[in-house]
Amino acid sequence: MTDIKKVAVIDTGAGNLFSLFSCLKRIGLEPVMISQASDIDKQSEKQFKAMVIPGQGRFGSVMQRLNDNGLSKVIIDWYLQDRTIVGICVGLQIFFQSSEEDLGVEGLGLLEGRVTKLNSPKQPMVGWCSLNSDIPFLSDRDVYFVNSYAVKESRFATSLVSYGDEFSASIQSKGLTAFQFHPEKSGKQGEEILKQCLN
Amino acid sequence: MSKLKSRVIVCLDVANGRVVKGVNFKGLKDMGDPVELAINYQEQGADEIMFLDIKATLENRKNALDTVTNVAKNLSIPFTVGGGLNSYGDVVAFLDAGADKVALNTAAVKTPDLIDQIAIGFGSQCLVVAIDVNQVNEQYQVFINGGHTPTHKDPFKWISEVEQRGAGEILLTAMHKDGTGEGFDNDLMAKVCQKSSIQIIASGGASNAQDFVDTFKAGSDAALAAGMFHRGETTVSKVKEKLIQNSIEVRKC
Repeated sequence: MTDIKKVAVIDTGAGNLFSLFSCLKRIGLEPVMISQASDIDKQSEKQFKAMVIPGQGRFGSVMQRLNDNGLSKVIIDWYLQDRTIVGICVGLQIFFQSSEEDLGVEGLGLLEGRVTKLNSPKQPMVGWCSLNSDIPFLSDRDVYFVNSYAVKESRFATSLVSYGDEFSASIQSKGLTAFQFHPEKSGKQGEEILKQCLN
Repeated sequence: MSKLKSRVIVCLDVANGRVVKGVNFKGLKDMGDPVELAINYQEQGADEIMFLDIKATLENRKNALDTVTNVAKNLSIPFTVGGGLNSYGDVVAFLDAGADKVALNTAAVKTPDLIDQIAIGFGSQCLVVAIDVNQVNEQYQVFINGGHTPTHKDPFKWISEVEQRGAGEILLTAMHKDGTGEGFDNDLMAKVCQKSSIQIIASGGASNAQDFVDTFKAGSDAALAAGMFHRGETTVSKVKEKLIQNSIEVRKC
């Protein structure tokens, strides 16, 4: 089983996935785009070692896309089965209950808490920040953030940063590891973080 | 207390698949292969690569998309592409080719609604508005078409407008400094950075590491240079060493 290299990348319908695909290939994985629930049935899901949920776009449009194409249920099943999932940016936020970005839209609700607008010096937050974490593979790494919204406090947080407000830079629960930053754009440091989660 | 690191951005001015650099936007010289140079700068510690096809507004840019894809495949840091993007369709094409962000300059002045459309369609984070400013009779003025055409627009008003419309960052080039090696126009940068609610990238005039120290002290969020790196006068790592010596926080690679 250790030689499985395929990773299911969920098509959230927003932004280009070129960076993420290139990064996954560079660390020796084979990304496969999953655009609807039928792309990943009970048989085929065994060929994937992990699922990656990329993160550009709005909370509301990503949730609508996932609900419309049946992928919300696929994600929830993987999470409940404790399978490896990596979420990035909005791909982290959707695991929570709701977001101030699109009030009235429900998230997957697997984690308690809500996404709120950052009270940051400049918006959107664009740039590199050091992670404050007790976890060795995250601690003091400099990573690239691009966001205006985040989960401020969470018992699932594994690293924090502050930019105006302090917020959760990464979270972990069951097989899910998710990042508010973009590891696929964070140079060698980001590649090492992804390798750690996906190998 | 974490805060954002000061970003050092390397610019590749590309024409016909080669990196070029001119003085005051004129006299273009061949500086090398864009893919090789981009990888080299990433290894030196550049925080971002900008690929500005400066001749694109004047000439055909067909193979620019292929070059973008080849550069993007090899980079693990943010990659911005600008020059010759005139429509929403052009933006889609360059993002699809692998760019993380696009930079709009002339097109933003001619069709400001394009800023709103991109911000709504893709989010502010992928839109840099590039503004070329020159001094005319001691007044700053916005120029377009690769610096060839004055617009009589006031840069400060234009900056507020693009922020309102949803730009994610501003690349502010002082044309009167570009290629001179006299350092960034830090009076201009300080004035803009104080008022602005989005990130400002200083550009035009850098020739050494001290110029980066000075512009970050003046308030710039990021600073961009091309020629000083392409000519091999210094490296990104040397610039970062100097920044660290001056207590300016930079990204550890």
